[in-house]
Amino acid sequence: MAANPGFKGDLLAAIPGLRAFAMSLSQNADRADDLVQETLVKAWDKQASFQPGTNLKAWLFTILRNEFYSQMRKRGREVQDSDGIMTGRLAVHPAQPGRLDLEDFRKALEQLPEDQREAIILIGASGFSYEEAADICGCAVGTIKSRVSRARNRLQEILDISGEADYGPDSIAAQVMGSNG
Amino acid sequence: MQNSGDRTRVIRALALGDSLTIQRAKHFMTRQTSGVANAGPNRRTDGDLLGTNSEIGRKLKQYYDELVSDEVPDRFAQLLSQLEEVEPAQQKD
Repeated sequence: MAANPGFKGDLLAAIPGLRAFAMSLSQNADRADDLVQETLVKAWDKQASFQPGTNLKAWLFTILRNEFYSQMRKRGREVQDSDGIMTGRLAVHPAQPGRLDLEDFRKALEQLPEDQREAIILIGASGFSYEEAADICGCAVGTIKSRVSRARNRLQEILDISGEADYGPDSIAAQVMGSNG
Repeated sequence: MQNSGDRTRVIRALALGDSLTIQRAKHFMTRQTSGVANAGPNRRTDGDLLGTNSEIGRKLKQYYDELVSDEVPDRFAQLLSQLEEVEPAQQKD
């Protein structure tokens, strides 16, 4: 059944989204493109197992995500699990108060644990539903929801746009202690 | 995996740069772009957490859209063309 002439075209069309997701995960252009390349090769190999009419984008994102975590493990890099871990790092202080610069945002995003970052990207940017994101990440819908929520809170905290207080450099300690779980 | 040798060859061919394949890939890419419009369906937003009223939600989309619109290097189309040549869609003979 496999000789599907549209498959290659569908893969090509998916590449920009895959690269964006890979960049969001790895925060590194070279690694991102390696991930995309490996994803395309794997997808090609496994194309017989893809059911036409189902969500190709979600299928590809799943492959890419698995590849990302498997590479991290091979590197001996511990996969961050944000549950119960306090990620106290430097707050980003926007150069222009009140105006959130895209570069500041990128830095803040980089500080998120992987599981939170991928959740907020899948839901808030890649256009997946909570159900699809849960499938991609192999977890429960509620887990995705809670990760998105924590990611958003964390970003607001780092970027100081909650409108609560004027954090200065001295507030690092306060950030480390954490105001919410 | 049985095809790992093939894949290695493909990747090596890519690294060396096969001009014919590159040409073909470019041609394919040109044809592809016309079909891209119907490739991105669900443009949904999350009303609760990351809707358009949320600064985080807006920045997130801006960040991601910038990544998506980044020009795709030719090597990916080349890779797919190579894969197609080596393993023509796993067709049973």
